[in-house]
Amino acid sequence: MASEDLKQEIRLALDNHTLNKTLGTFCKTYPAKREKAYEGIDFPAVREKIKEVKSYAAGHIDELIEEFTANCEKRGGHVFHATSPDQAMEYIRDLVREKGVKSIVKSKSMASEEIHFNSVLSGDGVLVQETDLGEFIIALEGNTPVHMVMPALHLNKEEVADLFTDYTKEKNEPVIAEEVKTARKVMRERFIHADMGVSGANVAVAETGTVFTMSNEGNGRMVGTLPPIHLYIFGIEKLVKSFSDARHIFKALPRNGTGQRITSYISMYTGASEVTVNKETDEKQKKDFYAVILDDPGRREILAEPEFRQIFDCIRCGACLDVCPAFALVGGHVYGSKVYTGGIGTLLTHFLVSEERAEQIQSICLQCGRCKEVCGGGLQIPEMIMKLREKSVEEHPNAIKKFALDAVSDRKLFHSMLRIASVAQGPFTKGQPMIRHLPLFLSGLTEGRSFPNIAQVPFRDIFPTIKQDVPNPKGTIAMFAGCLLDFVYTDLARDVIADLNSIGWLVDFPMGQACCGCPASNMGDRENGAREAEINIEAMEAEKYDYIVSACPSCTHQLREYPTFFEEGTEMHQRATELANKTFDFCKLFYDLGGVAEEGDSKAMKVTYHDSCHLCRSLGVTCEQRELLTRTPGVELVEMEEHDNCCGFGGTYSVLYPEIAKPILEKKIQHIQDTGADVVAVDCPGCMMQIRGGLDAHGVEGITVKHTAEIIAEKRGLV
Amino acid sequence: MSKMTDAIYDKFAKNLEAVNGGCVRTSKQGLGQAIAGVFREAGIQDACVKETPLLQEADVAGALRAAGMEVYTDHIRLHAEAARGGVSENQYGIAELGTLVQGHDGADERIIATASEFYVGVIKGSAIVEQYDDMFDLLSGLPELPNFIGFMTGPSRTADIECVTTVGVHGPIRLTAVVVDDE
Repeated sequence: MASEDLKQEIRLALDNHTLNKTLGTFCKTYPAKREKAYEGIDFPAVREKIKEVKSYAAGHIDELIEEFTANCEKRGGHVFHATSPDQAMEYIRDLVREKGVKSIVKSKSMASEEIHFNSVLSGDGVLVQETDLGEFIIALEGNTPVHMVMPALHLNKEEVADLFTDYTKEKNEPVIAEEVKTARKVMRERFIHADMGVSGANVAVAETGTVFTMSNEGNGRMVGTLPPIHLYIFGIEKLVKSFSDARHIFKALPRNGTGQRITSYISMYTGASEVTVNKETDEKQKKDFYAVILDDPGRREILAEPEFRQIFDCIRCGACLDVCPAFALVGGHVYGSKVYTGGIGTLLTHFLVSEERAEQIQSICLQCGRCKEVCGGGLQIPEMIMKLREKSVEEHPNAIKKFALDAVSDRKLFHSMLRIASVAQGPFTKGQPMIRHLPLFLSGLTEGRSFPNIAQVPFRDIFPTIKQDVPNPKGTIAMFAGCLLDFVYTDLARDVIADLNSIGWLVDFPMGQACCGCPASNMGDRENGAREAEINIEAMEAEKYDYIVSACPSCTHQLREYPTFFEEGTEMHQRATELANKTFDFCKLFYDLGGVAEEGDSKAMKVTYHDSCHLCRSLGVTCEQRELLTRTPGVELVEMEEHDNCCGFGGTYSVLYPEIAKPILEKKIQHIQDTGADVVAVDCPGCMMQIRGGLDAHGVEGITVKHTAEIIAEKRGLV
Repeated sequence: MSKMTDAIYDKFAKNLEAVNGGCVRTSKQGLGQAIAGVFREAGIQDACVKETPLLQEADVAGALRAAGMEVYTDHIRLHAEAARGGVSENQYGIAELGTLVQGHDGADERIIATASEFYVGVIKGSAIVEQYDDMFDLLSGLPELPNFIGFMTGPSRTADIECVTTVGVHGPIRLTAVVVDDE
């Protein structure tokens, strides 16, 4: 469960009007800007190249460190290889002392944040000036970055004006163009008089000893141009082998980071470049050039752990934050540490900053998978966050959560509980089909949405009464219902059978099936996930059937994951693999088995489609369901804005974080209403529950939510 | 490098203008006048100029002085603190992005290109490559990289306050490329 402190942080972020407005607008406009910036560029190909050069570097890191050091020193630079943050900082303190540095200008460097550069040197009496506008603003505020690329998004121009007024002792008006001029004026003095410039590297090239810095404001280039001493601080993950390798990273970095084809500046320093050391005499000489490579145990741990090694491929573009529905609401002060933010920030925080903080924030991830689509390094961020959850559950089991998941994985107990609930829910349903309010600590469940009733008769008891009239069947499909079809949406389960019968397939319902295990896996409980897998493999007996069908993409996804729970070569692994290979989501299977037909009642139905995260991103099914719908006479499909954005359900997420799930759902409902559709088609009963609940709670009338299987059955007159 | 085609120039100019930069095409003989014209229009009355053979042959400093401007060709670090304009030659350009590339370890060029309020980047047409990848191929093929290489694409910019893009932060507020046709 999320800690009370974290809940409080979430509440504060949600109440921050500026953050909501600015971050919300940025995240909304980002995908289109990014897409435009990639015109003419094959992003998947660029990403593959990035993975290739970064993976090579990860596998040869010691050689690259050595090579970089030799080549940088050959060109007049000095390189220090620090094996801990303290060692890095001690080296820098000595350097600053030895050179008599009194004033430092600094462009953005995340590694410097890790080693507490500013506070340590400020404590030594050195004036350390952040020169990036956003970093300067948050330094004045005494805060940390809310976003890796745009650190001061949480402040509006009025707040910035106040900070500038305090700092300059002159009245600053809340006019952005004027504030930028103030920053230019203030900082220009600092650049001119600084003894040392400090930079962070986006890339470091071993073969040439070159460091790259990308910026828009020009502060990065000022830092490397005016002061006589120039210090670079960067982690080992910034190393690549060749100069040519760097090109791939700079193709993705600006496009992913800010939706630009290129930033205003990319500076490349190879050893010590020339600097004017005396402006009166115009004397020039090679500058004192230093590079501190941070090679701390956290970074080595990333490299040593096969499941997390791909973190090394991160190019720090921040795209994963910009598409994250949870980040768009709460920002990096909540979803992050004081250095790294968002999904990737959670992973980096775990290894480089604070395991404790990472353990708290890892649960904010919805597991929707949007970040994976845009990630410049092709990182499987949600999967790695899931691994963190598993580690967390192993190391710090939560008794209440564990009890709940144990109960779910005990099929008989869980089913009994649901049967009891179907009776006990009476006081809350008040005779309505939806539960609108729950008392006490359960009230979060009905925050912004209503809950469906639990069916009086579960589907497993209904199934034996269903007559399947299929002459000359083509084969038999086993149905995996999952909890929502078995115990809530029993009519939908009937429709799935009717649809499959209509194209010549018989359907069976293995009675021993239980929860798929997705809730347990989502919460990091691998033990219960494996237990569920075992129960279902035994129950489903995939060997007996042609296919397994599920009308819930989360269950489908989970069933396909079953082989990962067992050791390769074992009988269970073999059985799990057979089950996984035969399992398909309803719309995909129905389509592949020839279900597309120009059949229907031709009655007009304006439909908008919501893509479930698991169906579109994990299972990669986006076209089949649309074709099934649009080929149905009378159906008009109108796409909603952000149709593949999460609805906020996220399995147990909406229970853990109703305060985040609610605004995500509200946005979804707004997008649905904007289409003017009278039906929202979905393929996931979880999304169906969430969206139906949201429409009901908001009193929206005239829009119904239907599963694709229901629409087909209804339009073709199968039920 | 081969002579610049009209298509390459048009591409370079279009992409630079798309990021708030200006672009002027001229002959070597007209270079001084072209730069004087750019500064006159912007009301710039003083400038640091880093002389190179091209700029000297075209007598850029003379043309600016003749236009009534104060011109500094030495002690650039000192004068750049106050002078509003700056002129230097760039070694390469990228048409696909409208990018000027300094591929030379000269402190004065770097100071001028970074510190001036209005920067004029001179570039020979034949030094403009078509694509970003061409530039990396070219640089990767150099026997030794210069100590400094800088890509510069338009004036400096920020969106750090309320995500509102504002042109002109620490680097130049305005930037114009003056492309010199090859003889």
